[in-house]
Amino acid sequence: MGSLPELGIRLRGVSKAFGSQFALSRIDLDVQQGSYVAIMGANGAGKSTLLKIISGLAVPTKGTVTIAGIEMRKAGPKLRALVGVVGHESMLYLDLTARENLMFHARLFGVREPREAVEIAAERLAVRRSLDRPVRVLSRGTKQRVSLARALLHDPAVILLDEPYTGLDEAAALSLSSLLEDLNTPERVLMVTLHDVARAISGPQRLVVLSAGRIVLDTPTHERSEDVADTYLELLKAEARR
Amino acid sequence: MDVKTEDHAQLEQVTEEDARQLTKSAGRKFLGIATLIAFTVLLYMALVFAPEDAAQGPAQRIFYIHVPSAWIGFLGFFVVFVASIAFLATRKRRWDDIASASASIGVVFTTGVLITGPLWGRPVWGVYWTWDPRLTSFLMLWLIYVSYLVLRGYVPEPERRARYSAVLGIVGFLDVPIVYLSVRWWRSEHPLQLVFQRGGLPSQMLLSLFVGLAAFTLLYAYLMSVKLRVGRLSDRAEEFEEEVAR
Amino acid sequence: MTWMTPAATIAAKDLRLEIKTRDVVASVGLFVLLVVVTASFAFPTTGDGREGVAAGVLWMAFLFAALLGMGRSMALEKEEGCLEGLIVSPAPREAIFLGKLFANLGFTFVVELLILPVFVVLLGLQVGTMALLVLATLLGTLGLATVGTLFSAMAVNTRGREAILPLLVMPVSVPVMIAAVKSTEAAFAGDWTSSTVSWLLLMVGYDALFLLVALATFPHLMEE
Repeated sequence: MGSLPELGIRLRGVSKAFGSQFALSRIDLDVQQGSYVAIMGANGAGKSTLLKIISGLAVPTKGTVTIAGIEMRKAGPKLRALVGVVGHESMLYLDLTARENLMFHARLFGVREPREAVEIAAERLAVRRSLDRPVRVLSRGTKQRVSLARALLHDPAVILLDEPYTGLDEAAALSLSSLLEDLNTPERVLMVTLHDVARAISGPQRLVVLSAGRIVLDTPTHERSEDVADTYLELLKAEARR
Repeated sequence: MDVKTEDHAQLEQVTEEDARQLTKSAGRKFLGIATLIAFTVLLYMALVFAPEDAAQGPAQRIFYIHVPSAWIGFLGFFVVFVASIAFLATRKRRWDDIASASASIGVVFTTGVLITGPLWGRPVWGVYWTWDPRLTSFLMLWLIYVSYLVLRGYVPEPERRARYSAVLGIVGFLDVPIVYLSVRWWRSEHPLQLVFQRGGLPSQMLLSLFVGLAAFTLLYAYLMSVKLRVGRLSDRAEEFEEEVAR
Repeated sequence: MTWMTPAATIAAKDLRLEIKTRDVVASVGLFVLLVVVTASFAFPTTGDGREGVAAGVLWMAFLFAALLGMGRSMALEKEEGCLEGLIVSPAPREAIFLGKLFANLGFTFVVELLILPVFVVLLGLQVGTMALLVLATLLGTLGLATVGTLFSAMAVNTRGREAILPLLVMPVSVPVMIAAVKSTEAAFAGDWTSSTVSWLLLMVGYDALFLLVALATFPHLMEE
């Protein structure tokens, strides 16, 4: 394999142990700029851990994580400025307004013209009306959109979303899908963890499946998408048998 | 899948072999015997060989247990300190095992200091407790040990537990000399101070003390080697699990 | 220094949160006030050594204030995964520590400022040297807050939540408590002695040492 273009994510020999359990075992992964990757796997397979390693929340027990050719271990702050994360929790202070939360994150990420950036992000995520309300009173869907806005404020080159479709109704899910497709430009990397194989093959171009901390499937999705779905279901059945 | 069961069988085999290897440490047996000998000698020296202190009477003999216990109590936390720094620097599980072993052994000796202190004090000076700087510092050391062990009990996840205790181990150890200093200054403002004469000990007492120090150090080393044996087994199992993953 | 801007941003956010909810100052302030009032019932109104007892009671109250405040401050970060939000940001871990430290110092000072006059009046004390009192309070609170902020980051992730914080902080903070009490006693009595200077220097040394240790070790706590 040739060298990775400007901004890419590279994992080499990454293992993450929690005590004697290995959440990830010797993961080798290359994600090029412009990729939109879906990550699937059973609960506990290591999907969230994988994203946490890339975002800097977790430090690998073994192996290296490199973004844009720079090792995470060496230049954490600079690399984290390139990454936007949406996790299971909103990362919003409940007693501050949406705007105050967004302004705080904008400043933390060194965004120039924070006020404008907040307005633009709010507009894009259709939460302008809720900007001056405390996060505590917002509906679940709105809160999630504010959290997304938070992640996109600094125009990150790498966007990581951990099970963003959980708890969304069809309309909200479609809206999210379409947003992610818009975000999928040649300069960005998108990585999403999901449970729904239909969503995994419709938007993302690549599917990576984890099982017990190892990659068991890594395939492009757009060619022969039915085959991909079948392969995935086979994997699930095999796992269920064990 | 078949590979899994084969791996499991191999894992069992390897673990059994290693278990036999690692637990059968000649070094540890030697330590055990040396400790036993040292304590027998100490018993003789403390009770018979060393002269009785004219002023304090037979109760003074507790000194030969009290002081070595204090030495080990302090050494124990020093080892926790060094192991904690080493762990944060290298993130190797081994260092955390050493730190936690030393802490659980050290706290026992420190408790010994706090018990033998009053046992010595009461017959000799009439009071169980004085806010003597050294004894008070040991009380604080004991509290820091306890807070270290409680913290470990409160963090179920091993990696996190190791990191958190390492931080506490470092802060706690650095605090001990400062505690000693502050208590000493505090007490010296009051004229009432009970000093036990340590300077000018007759040579027999000194010798007995050294034997005591040696015996206790051997005991510490022996206990550490016993506690750490278990850790080594699980490390080996872990390494194998990883190899299987390849 | 690249730490100061993110630290200030974080501290400002904490301040904003506190102004909105008055969470920390209200509950902590009230509790500490009760401690002081209760203590005043047992307090000797005449006799030698009043200053010493007063200083002791005052610092017990300050310690409670600091512990409660710091525990609460870190607990707020646990809600909604806000602490993770800080960790994935470009803010250096040391800046996160400093930001929380400044915020904790701020809250604790506010509570102390409110308690002090009440204390002096209720216990019928005289403040001999105001400057010494202020200095002792500043140095002592800094010592408590440094160690407390560091430990609160651990405490909040344990099974008992913030409940373990006092157990972690109290043994380690003994030197600074002794020094603070002795200096405050001298402040009430109105005489600077050479030993008072020693106590102040002890606090300076303690604060400096543990600030460095905290900055060096805090990053290790900011991981999953």
